[in-house]
Amino acid sequence: MKSARREAFTGRVLLIVLMAATLMPFISLFVTALHPSGTYPLGLEWPDDPQWGNFATAFTAAKMTELLKSSALIVLGVVPISLVVATMAGFAIGHLRIPGRRIVFVVFLLGLTLPFEGIITPLYYLVRDMGVLNTRWAIILPLIGLFMPFSVFWMRAHFINMPEELSESARIDGAGTWQLFWKVHVPLAAPATSSLAILLFLWTWNQFLLAIVLVDDPLQRTMSGALGAFQGQWGTDIPLLCAGSLLILTPTLLVFLIFQRRFVTALLQGSLKG
Amino acid sequence: MVVILGGSLAAACAAPGSGNAQPTAAASSAPASSAPTCGTEPITLKGYFETGFPIAKALTDEFTKQHPNVTWDIREDQFAVITQNAPRVLADDPPDLMRLPQVSELVKNNLLKNLDDYAKQFGWDKWPASQLEQMRLAPGGAVRGEGSLYAMGLNFSMTGVFYNKKLAEQIGMTTPPETLADLDAALAKAKEAGLAPIAQFNGGATGGLAFPLQNLMASYGPSAPINEWIYQKPGATIDTPSNLQATQHLEKWIKAGYFWKDVNAVDYATMMSRFMKGDGLFMFDGDWESGNLDKQMAGNAGFFLMPPVQAGGKRAAMSAPLTFGIGANAKNADCAAFYLDWVATDTKARTIGVQIGGSHPMGPADAPMPPVAAGTVTESTLGAGAQIAKDNGSMDFIANATGAIYAKSWTPNLQKLVGGEQTPEGLLKSVQSDYQTQVQGG
Amino acid sequence: MKAAVKRRRNWAGWLFVLPAAAFYVVFVIQPLFMTVQYSLYKWDGIGVATWTGFQNYLKVFTDPDLFAAIFNAVKLIAFFSAVPVVLGLAIAATIRRIATSRLALVARTVIFLPQVIPLVAAGITWSWLLSSTGLVNQLLTYIGLEKITRAWLGDFSTALPAVGVIGAWVLLGLCTLLLLAGMSKIDPALYEAARLDGAGPFREFFSITLPSLRQEIGVCVTVTVVAALASFDIVYISTQGGPGNASMVPGLEIYYLAFSERQVGLASALAVVLTALVIACALPIQWLTRDRT
Repeated sequence: MKSARREAFTGRVLLIVLMAATLMPFISLFVTALHPSGTYPLGLEWPDDPQWGNFATAFTAAKMTELLKSSALIVLGVVPISLVVATMAGFAIGHLRIPGRRIVFVVFLLGLTLPFEGIITPLYYLVRDMGVLNTRWAIILPLIGLFMPFSVFWMRAHFINMPEELSESARIDGAGTWQLFWKVHVPLAAPATSSLAILLFLWTWNQFLLAIVLVDDPLQRTMSGALGAFQGQWGTDIPLLCAGSLLILTPTLLVFLIFQRRFVTALLQGSLKG
Repeated sequence: MVVILGGSLAAACAAPGSGNAQPTAAASSAPASSAPTCGTEPITLKGYFETGFPIAKALTDEFTKQHPNVTWDIREDQFAVITQNAPRVLADDPPDLMRLPQVSELVKNNLLKNLDDYAKQFGWDKWPASQLEQMRLAPGGAVRGEGSLYAMGLNFSMTGVFYNKKLAEQIGMTTPPETLADLDAALAKAKEAGLAPIAQFNGGATGGLAFPLQNLMASYGPSAPINEWIYQKPGATIDTPSNLQATQHLEKWIKAGYFWKDVNAVDYATMMSRFMKGDGLFMFDGDWESGNLDKQMAGNAGFFLMPPVQAGGKRAAMSAPLTFGIGANAKNADCAAFYLDWVATDTKARTIGVQIGGSHPMGPADAPMPPVAAGTVTESTLGAGAQIAKDNGSMDFIANATGAIYAKSWTPNLQKLVGGEQTPEGLLKSVQSDYQTQVQGG
Repeated sequence: MKAAVKRRRNWAGWLFVLPAAAFYVVFVIQPLFMTVQYSLYKWDGIGVATWTGFQNYLKVFTDPDLFAAIFNAVKLIAFFSAVPVVLGLAIAATIRRIATSRLALVARTVIFLPQVIPLVAAGITWSWLLSSTGLVNQLLTYIGLEKITRAWLGDFSTALPAVGVIGAWVLLGLCTLLLLAGMSKIDPALYEAARLDGAGPFREFFSITLPSLRQEIGVCVTVTVVAALASFDIVYISTQGGPGNASMVPGLEIYYLAFSERQVGLASALAVVLTALVIACALPIQWLTRDRT
């Protein structure tokens, strides 16, 4: 058993090193953010006179309230629509076993690993011709489509495990397919849909490419896209940039810390299934 | 939603671009008897300006103070972003007034308003011709430097060499170098003294070594052929013997360690910040920083034009207007034109142009010059302007030859030159070949 | 009779797929075909396009800069994929026994952070760490390696590896946790039996752990390879493809070509090649490692 204890010890040390390596960048960011604006501090050096005001300055400079609102609106556009639409499709493919479901499913699967860069050019012209360029719809609508393969895949995986008997008995009670779906299956799918919601929230919030290509105004973008613009504008003032980056990180970090169990499970499952 | 989706599907079958309404070539409205104004009705001008240049904001604020019916809807981006967005924005969402990158391709695509009528109405055509030359284009945007006017400047800038007076004293440099050899000597002395000889940026998508390079080109050879190349005159080439000498000279500076070791990772703002902190004796840059330097290193910053190879030789400098244009389909073109005229002729506006912009205002030769404090950098950069005018040595920037030449050709090649991955010969050949592809519309 | 009713009902089920299919077709399938179509034209995005056949593809494979970008993406696989998977395996195997301790639970949250924050933020943070005055150089100087300090992202020989390090940092946590989750599903009896046979930790790892993790490893490899090939955010923020073209990747090149150089046709050809490359890499990995039960 001695070896087991030694193993546990190395394990602990390794864990701590790993955590340190993960956290170090954040700490460096934080410490730098406290230096006087406009200076070039060393990577890790506690300032003589911590400038907590930098965060307030960055908050105003980055127009955080508006950014939060914009990102929230985009998430509110993407997530509910995706959930409803994907749950319906997953239900039909996984549970109703509609004819041709295999082909439909394979066609959706093709989109799973598609790099967004592969279609970003036509998306620009598509969105422009729809007249929604430079509005939040320019991010919302394509994202729903781009997330659809995964969402359908995810929901199908749930519905394929739902026993047929469940629906049979509801049908005997005279429920139509529509009622069956809403009354019986949607409530039962809650664990699957809530995990999916978490993933979609995260991916939308962090979406960068679509934001910078399809929307010029940083205040109409996702947090991530706005951060890109913030770097462009304040990249010259390292402490302020660090403070701003930390602020922009905070919302996701908070949501993550609150829902951390769910998050980790969802993301792990998400990548396993993807 | 269904309608939108369906419509977009139907449109997807034709050849790309065939469905676009082409903006019609700029036949601006028949010349009115009097110059247009902004009227008295409330009007909102849509502007697209460059981040980090307070002059635009100062001018628009002052304009609204004088013309309260005009308000502004302004969007700002970094210049590189504007360069990328310009054609799309002008085609899809045209602003009334826009900070312009290189204009040839915009004119080729009929995205900019032809300003000839305005020039006549406002009398811009009576200003010194050199002010507007860079913004003139032959029909179809083929050649620059002649033809119709497609843009206007808020002022015109001058580039050269700034230096840190304290550091200069330290190495015994009391007067600005008179020849290139003098400059070389000063650089060597600075290196020996453990100073950073040159503060310059060369990171990201903006290769700032193009500043010293073009200055060296101007020292070694005449500026006219360089201008012809920038203006896309048929047959023009950048790969000339004197330019090769200039590039070799730049390489010598690199090898001698005159630039920061991390110059390939330094962006423009980092350069400014380091130079103002005293890290760097010389800095190749433009007078748009004069006001800034007068404030941040008051009394400690000097400026001189790049010295020629032979003592007493002619001086040349990159000098370009801070160009703004009006979208071909802009809603308030008349008011935007009125604003551009106001910037050049209003006394208050000219003062703002010099004090905040740091550069020479546009306008008639006899227009009043705002007062400038003696001993400031602004005074010396404005003075340099007179010398360049005398020597007829004004050049546009080599980065402005085509829309993509800076980011996709000069920058990577200059970064490679720093990294020892490119030779001076190879650099010029590579830039010339990219230029040819781009001019032919690659 | 019953069969007929059922069939009718099933066709009605198509109505449920319709909205999802509409979004997918309009915003994914259609643009995919449009990309292929654009790639056969020369188009500046504004005027009328001219047909050029396979000219753009020829350029993608013959232009040294474009081809170098594709090759860079392949090189990034070493960092984005090999490092997280190998290191992740080693770490997971070591901490497997203490996977339920309190420390491990905290670690689970901590090492997941890079996966949660925007890649853009990772890019900004690391640009700062790797800059000439950043933490990395500070540490190197501290341990006496001042000679090798440099602006890591601005140096020709180190820019691409530095981008790779950022990617590895982002993906390591995900891989470790995925593999750890996989290991927790292995029947402990297998390990006990091996111990009784006198197997050391190494043999244990190679004969039990590794084979049982086929699926998880497959997932890690797929996710990370796709992340490497389609990298954009990190490169855009940290190096913009420079210095020179030392860290240019196809994703960024497509963006530049389409939206700043306005060579929409060429950009689209590169996009098609990138998409094909991603699918060509992802499919076989999935195929080889999926356990088909």
